[in-house]
Amino acid sequence: MSRLMSTLLIAASLLPVVALAGKTDSTASPAAASLAPLPVPVDFGPPQGDPIHAVLGVPPNVPPPIHRNYPAKVIVDLEVIEKEMPIAEGVTYTFWTFGGTVPGSFIRVRQGDTVEFHLKNAPDSKMPHNIDLHAVTGPGGGAASSFTAPGHESQFTFKALNAGLFVYHCATAPVGMHIANGMYGLILVEPPQGLPKVDHEYYVMQGDFYTTGKYREKGLQPFDMDKAIDEHPTYVLFNGREGSLTGDHALTAKVGETVRLFVGNGGPNLVSSFHVIGEIFDRVYTEGGAHTQENVQTTLIPAGGSAITEFHVDVPGSYTLVDHSIFRAFNKGALGILKVDGPENKAIYSGKQSDTPYAGNGTAPQAVAAPAPKAAATGPLSKADQLKAGEQSFNGTCAVCHQATGEGMAGVFPPLAKSDYLARQAKDHLISIPLHGLNGKVTVNGKDYDSVMPPLGQLTDDEVANILTYVLNSWGNPGGQVSKEEVSKVRAMPATASTGH
Amino acid sequence: MKRLAAMLAGLLLAIPAAATDYVALPGGDFASVVPADGKAALAHIAPFRLRTEPVTNAEFQAFVATHPQWRRDRVAPVFADSNYLAHWSGADTLGTGALPQQPITRVSWFAAQAYCESEHARLPTWYEWEYAAAADATRADARNDPAWRERVLAWYGRPSTTPLPSVGGAPDVHGVRDLNGLVWEWVDDFNALLVGSDSRDQDGADKLKFCGAGALSLQEKENYATLMRVAMLSSLKASDTTVNLGFRCARSP
Amino acid sequence: MKRLLVLLLVMIGGHAFAATPLPRDSIYQLDISLTDQGGQTAMLAQRRGQVQVISMFYSSCTMVCPMIVDTMRATRNAVDEPQRDRLGLLLVSFDPARDSVDALRQYAARRKLDAPAWTLARAEPQAARQLAALLGLQYRQLPDGDFNHSSELILLDADGRILARSTVIGRLDPPFVEAVKHALGTP
Repeated sequence: MSRLMSTLLIAASLLPVVALAGKTDSTASPAAASLAPLPVPVDFGPPQGDPIHAVLGVPPNVPPPIHRNYPAKVIVDLEVIEKEMPIAEGVTYTFWTFGGTVPGSFIRVRQGDTVEFHLKNAPDSKMPHNIDLHAVTGPGGGAASSFTAPGHESQFTFKALNAGLFVYHCATAPVGMHIANGMYGLILVEPPQGLPKVDHEYYVMQGDFYTTGKYREKGLQPFDMDKAIDEHPTYVLFNGREGSLTGDHALTAKVGETVRLFVGNGGPNLVSSFHVIGEIFDRVYTEGGAHTQENVQTTLIPAGGSAITEFHVDVPGSYTLVDHSIFRAFNKGALGILKVDGPENKAIYSGKQSDTPYAGNGTAPQAVAAPAPKAAATGPLSKADQLKAGEQSFNGTCAVCHQATGEGMAGVFPPLAKSDYLARQAKDHLISIPLHGLNGKVTVNGKDYDSVMPPLGQLTDDEVANILTYVLNSWGNPGGQVSKEEVSKVRAMPATASTGH
Repeated sequence: MKRLAAMLAGLLLAIPAAATDYVALPGGDFASVVPADGKAALAHIAPFRLRTEPVTNAEFQAFVATHPQWRRDRVAPVFADSNYLAHWSGADTLGTGALPQQPITRVSWFAAQAYCESEHARLPTWYEWEYAAAADATRADARNDPAWRERVLAWYGRPSTTPLPSVGGAPDVHGVRDLNGLVWEWVDDFNALLVGSDSRDQDGADKLKFCGAGALSLQEKENYATLMRVAMLSSLKASDTTVNLGFRCARSP
Repeated sequence: MKRLLVLLLVMIGGHAFAATPLPRDSIYQLDISLTDQGGQTAMLAQRRGQVQVISMFYSSCTMVCPMIVDTMRATRNAVDEPQRDRLGLLLVSFDPARDSVDALRQYAARRKLDAPAWTLARAEPQAARQLAALLGLQYRQLPDGDFNHSSELILLDADGRILARSTVIGRLDPPFVEAVKHALGTP
């Protein structure tokens, strides 16, 4: 009784104070008043057990989850390798890499682990390098402690105090150039309880690249500092190469499974509007931190930042990973595919139910979810090689509208198969169509079409030559051959869109 | 007997070395990427003579034959790391991994110094080297020409998986060859390039580490082609060797 | 010939160590001579036989060098007698143009850096550059005559091998002090 009484008294005596406090706070932001004190990162104490050598993940793969209930000493060995690799079909670039890949090897540790980091710079490197891990608490994120000349190894140790998905990158001068050459990757610091179990985990990292040659210009392309400073990338890519996540390299899952994407953005310049076409992220660990958002369409990933996205796949098909700053996806390469196999679920997604074309204002959409077209090889090609390369490019670029069978789509996209229109065009005009596009009414095989075909400016001369040669020799067309030189001649003429006649 | 043979071979090889060319460079005031006062001061470069070509494997082999303390099996580890001359087939033989006319690489600063001393010369200072390397075929300072910069950068972008070319590239306006585009080169005062090892540390934080002015601020940020060479040299210890690092010598007139 | 001379000097110096070959990772492999504040010139290798803390400085430095000196003094004072007397302190100038023997003597007197514990020395410019390179110290002269330089204390064992280094200047660095005590054989 007396205890209850005193409790009441105390409560009563507190009332005015609370009221007063409330009054004072009314001028401050209500959010600030409700914020908890800053959480102090938990230190789980000294490392236990035998030291563990970290298993590193080669993109797009991720090392297996950590099932460990104590903090350990984890030894990470990472080698810097400077090497020439393809950046797009027929195009190579001298990448500077952490572990021989772009992005660099995926590192996975547990919160509270003591990480003994060994940075090795390959003996045939030209440059000194270092590493700044955003998971490090300490000046430079390890940069000064890991500055390593070619043919040397540096060691430093840090404790992974905060859980999250963190970017690492090189910070040697000029920093922007080292990053632009591919020197970034992700380190996951798992919370002690781990992440919820999923069926698939993948590693995707965006980066922007600056070459002196234009997009898909063949050969070894040097870095272009001026474009980098102007923030005008030639390529915006997932995992350092156009096509790294398409075709045979597409990510895979089965209907009914769960997928977790560890997504990073190395930059150096661009912020990514990461989106998977046809999917909704059921859960996003925004900015790679502890808090989650649900039902997200597009998540913003800063340069030097990350996000973890999780979703359930319900319907089979190809889901396209893009930076939804969409020219980057279709004109600079920021495109990947998640291929989902399994039974249809018409209740969730019907597939096409109606086949009625809508001419509308007559504008033909550019290729949307087309896989990245395979560019042709350089040099003079035999006709057989041209046909082969042309088929690839056609299926990548043209087939979305004209169909792989060349049948087109009634009323919208004219057929290329057995086309009397094609048969009566002069060669130069034929070449000008993919180069400059085609506007206005055309009559093909007795039917009228009034659409706009946009110029396919991203195609190189040899790609145009190969595509046209392929078209002329397919589906009952009259045959013939178009050379790269003929294309470049037409390209040099005044560029106006052809009109139908 | 073997030793005598090696010495004879050394003497024979020493003949082309004796014909080594040095050319006179006028020097003068020079805007370095590493300004003398850490801000903007010009570097004053006295007239000097520079070796027209980097030292070759053959020349260094001849040196080792007459200065056996610089053989890789005898050198003290304080003066050269374990990769010193590791591409040679033996302590005094070149083999297929080191052709006679290729530039010598995998040499430490101490070894480079000792070699130059044997040629009655010294290593060039950073300012001398940077000043000389600013030239192209027609101009003493071509650094503002994007073509100059691109040529320098093109080499940085080439991975070093193919064998090094022989020395003897096109001469510049002074008659000097291969300053850019062949190998990194030691300079005498490589340890004067007090660049913070975290390049983003813009100023001040290292006042105690680097007495006085703190870490160097790198001027001419646009001239990153040269800046990268400074970063490379600043990462080295005097006993370090790398597969792309050689040297040439200089003389005061 | 030069090497023979070194050997002779070492023998004249009367060090028992001369009998055993110098460790290959010793900084005494460097063939340079130093001239101390008393005007005595000797080979660097003659310092063999004593545990030492070594650093580089220049006497007209007003900013960090006095702190280097103070830190060396404090480090020595942190060692108990009698081991303290077995610890040598060596400061080598990288400003040979201005740091004459006289300048070094005056500096030592002003700062009460008494021999035999303290040695302030100068070397020829090329020798100073070599010693700095060997010790992993960086320096450059500025247009106004001052120097930019890295500041570190380096502990050498009796054979000239580097045992420990410290970049802590202006106060004691406990792990470095422990290393010094350990090198002197104190518990």
